[in-house]
Amino acid sequence: MNNLITVNDLTIAYPMSDGEIFRALNNISVEVNRGQIVGVVGESGAGKSTIGKTALGLLDENAIIEGGSVSLEGEKISNLSEAGFAPIRGKRIGYIYQNPMTALNPVLTIGEQLLETIEAHTDKRGNAAKAYAIELLEQAEVPEAEDRLSKYPHQLSGGLCQRIVFAIAICARPDLIIADEPTTALDVTVQKAVLDTLKKLAKQDNIAIILITHDMGVVAEMCDYVYVLRYGGMVEHGPTEQVLAHPSKDYSRELMAAIPRIDKKVDRFAVPGGMGKSADRDRALAFLLRREDRNVIVDDKPLLTARNLSKTFVTPATVVSAEKVFKAVDDVSFDVSHGETLGIVGESGSGKSTVGRMVLGLHQPDEGYELTYRAQDLSSLKSRAERLALSKSMQCIFQDPYSSLNPRMSAGENITHAIKAHGTVGRTEAHELAGDLMELVGLPRGNVRKMPHAFSGGERQRIGIARALSFRPDFLFCDEPTSALDVTVQAELLNLMKDLQSTLGLTMLFVSHDLAVVRQMCDRVLVMKAGQVVESGDCDKVLVDPDHPYTQGLLQAMPRFSFDMG
Amino acid sequence: METAVEHTMTPKPDKPEPTMWERFRKVFKGHPMAIAGLIGVTLFILTAVFAPFIAPQNPYDLAKLDILDGLLPPGSRLYDGTYSAMGTDALGRDILSGVMYGLRISLFVAFTAVLVGSTIGVLLGLLAALRGGWVETIIMRAVDLKISFPGILLALMLLAIFGTGVDKVIYALIIGAWASKARLVRAVALSEMKKEYIDAARLAGLSDFRIMTRFLLPNSISPVLVVLPMSISGAIGAEATLSFLGVGVPITEPSLGLLIANGNDYLLSGKWWISIFPGAVLVAMVLCINVVSDRLRDHANPYLRAKD
Repeated sequence: MNNLITVNDLTIAYPMSDGEIFRALNNISVEVNRGQIVGVVGESGAGKSTIGKTALGLLDENAIIEGGSVSLEGEKISNLSEAGFAPIRGKRIGYIYQNPMTALNPVLTIGEQLLETIEAHTDKRGNAAKAYAIELLEQAEVPEAEDRLSKYPHQLSGGLCQRIVFAIAICARPDLIIADEPTTALDVTVQKAVLDTLKKLAKQDNIAIILITHDMGVVAEMCDYVYVLRYGGMVEHGPTEQVLAHPSKDYSRELMAAIPRIDKKVDRFAVPGGMGKSADRDRALAFLLRREDRNVIVDDKPLLTARNLSKTFVTPATVVSAEKVFKAVDDVSFDVSHGETLGIVGESGSGKSTVGRMVLGLHQPDEGYELTYRAQDLSSLKSRAERLALSKSMQCIFQDPYSSLNPRMSAGENITHAIKAHGTVGRTEAHELAGDLMELVGLPRGNVRKMPHAFSGGERQRIGIARALSFRPDFLFCDEPTSALDVTVQAELLNLMKDLQSTLGLTMLFVSHDLAVVRQMCDRVLVMKAGQVVESGDCDKVLVDPDHPYTQGLLQAMPRFSFDMG
Repeated sequence: METAVEHTMTPKPDKPEPTMWERFRKVFKGHPMAIAGLIGVTLFILTAVFAPFIAPQNPYDLAKLDILDGLLPPGSRLYDGTYSAMGTDALGRDILSGVMYGLRISLFVAFTAVLVGSTIGVLLGLLAALRGGWVETIIMRAVDLKISFPGILLALMLLAIFGTGVDKVIYALIIGAWASKARLVRAVALSEMKKEYIDAARLAGLSDFRIMTRFLLPNSISPVLVVLPMSISGAIGAEATLSFLGVGVPITEPSLGLLIANGNDYLLSGKWWISIFPGAVLVAMVLCINVVSDRLRDHANPYLRAKD
């Protein structure tokens, strides 16, 4: 018995409201040895988090352990009571949450939270406890550790907060840390530094880690051994290199193929999906390509020209706080040619989405800008009708599929409500068209009457695309269209967007934080940092051999597989 | 943030959308108090609607009243042989009939006032959220102003100025009902405004009116629907108070409040039934509505619903 923790044939069931039983885990076995870093990967609904929750006795009240067990050093812990888990939680098994900003108590200082944990788990008190707190922070590589003790979580960045969560997790020197998507909420450069620290901590104290993640790059960089889960079942497991480079099961192969690559551009991802193939699709295409009602100017001039775009957000002063001025976008200029895809990459807060929203007119840029679309000056458009005619040909694919559809309208109504309101199509024609467009984006037309909540995230995003298409746009602003989706769903959607672009000749402005996605989708790219463009040019150049140190840093920080993918 | 149950991707056979009736049943299933309340509310409403057909006597018809029947205790027989379960008042009016007709007035006044007031409030709240700027400032300051007055005092002032009557009481109660709804709806609508489907609607060039009615309204209305029953029971109480104080409905069309006031003078002389029966009905009805509304509120609260 040299395993630190053994999950043996574990089956976890949830009774559903309709009387059925949902199995979050099905005969799952996982073994972790001391000092080992083990990855558990899978897409949403795979049951990865449930494993961690079972090990800590944190399952929801209505969960039933139908079979199997979890043992810590040979001792069965899955059947312990709440009180039985107390000496295990924090002391022998630490837990690191996905979102550090919500894992810390916002009304206590960092010091208070650390001392509380230290006093609960060790016999250090007073100055000894404080010294230990500083030592823990230094181990978690928090700079200026002593000063941080008096700070509140909101005064620190997400990366720093996660390091503090690490410090709390290692306080009692546990044997095992369960890290549930520890870097998903963080930017890529921060992610790299945080993961390095986590790895160092584990080596130094010989702590084993179960790393739960959806990101294969993170697994490749961190883990010795990996388990691949899907729908609560085990797909395959093995040493990381073997599973990632030579997956033996269809699903793992598909999963690996769906990961966008930074090193070379491919025409399509090797996953199913893309445009639908029925006769309905052709009808939808006929509708979309019918352009007699608009004068398309195709010449050498760029479709869209933006000069000196800036946006300042001002939070007015209140009784308790002074006026806050935040320059989200600072003097950004670019052209987008017909049929081209221009990417904008940057970390959170770089202002990349704000640029697109200004182009669409959802934000009013600061004075002194120029915005020309189809040789028309957008800044001088005054009448509602002019603005409207234009907005119909400029559409958006939004980031969050869970909030971008009107929850009180059926899928079909969401797609065609607006063009019906404008009188572009009649009532019966609209219903037909909604079905055709759904077929075009790869959803069966039988779903026209279903409400948005009945669809998965990827399906909702398809409905969002169909809605944008219904206006017969020339220009699409894609605002992180796949960042909320699983990697295979992302690959399917990106395939669809590529198909639509080549068939309809769409021009796109594609915003993403993911360099690899931009590499796959875009011709040219702008790299933004703190509201400014630091570098721009062809993807083949900028994302392969960048000149600017910031871009170089982004590229280096990207977790990637170093294996030959054959 | 991933709970396996919510994000299940396991292919599942399509299930039909639950019908209104199924959803309605689900709200009340396993809550006997709420079901009792619901039955009570239904009975009160039916009684009010059908009062002219089921009341033993028409209390508005002065020709039918006989002074000889005055102040009879419960269980007596009137001069014309009608059985009087709740006794009679000084004018010989059957209390049970008075209560049935009084329910009509009370419910009509409360429902009309709350529905009209809430509609105005909801529209103003949505407008404030959608337009922002000075429109929002004016609307919300008006709300603050209204809410800073004690409701019953405001109603008393209005009735003192405009005179009494069923319509005047309804106006006074409408002014009492709109402000809290406006505030509630604005708060919900503001959070909806941040969602991307509103951006999509703006991008589609839809008019503010359409965005308000088809996008904001259906997604912001739920909390108002939940507090609506509570508002109605509040309005019933407020109307009763106004009538009791003599500034409410006219004496010729007595509501429950006026009936209670009617018997006030006789309470100490042992003629308890004139006030007590209308009072008991008022309490029972408000209680029933509140029980039902509590259940609706709990059901709408996702934190509590998880334990259902």
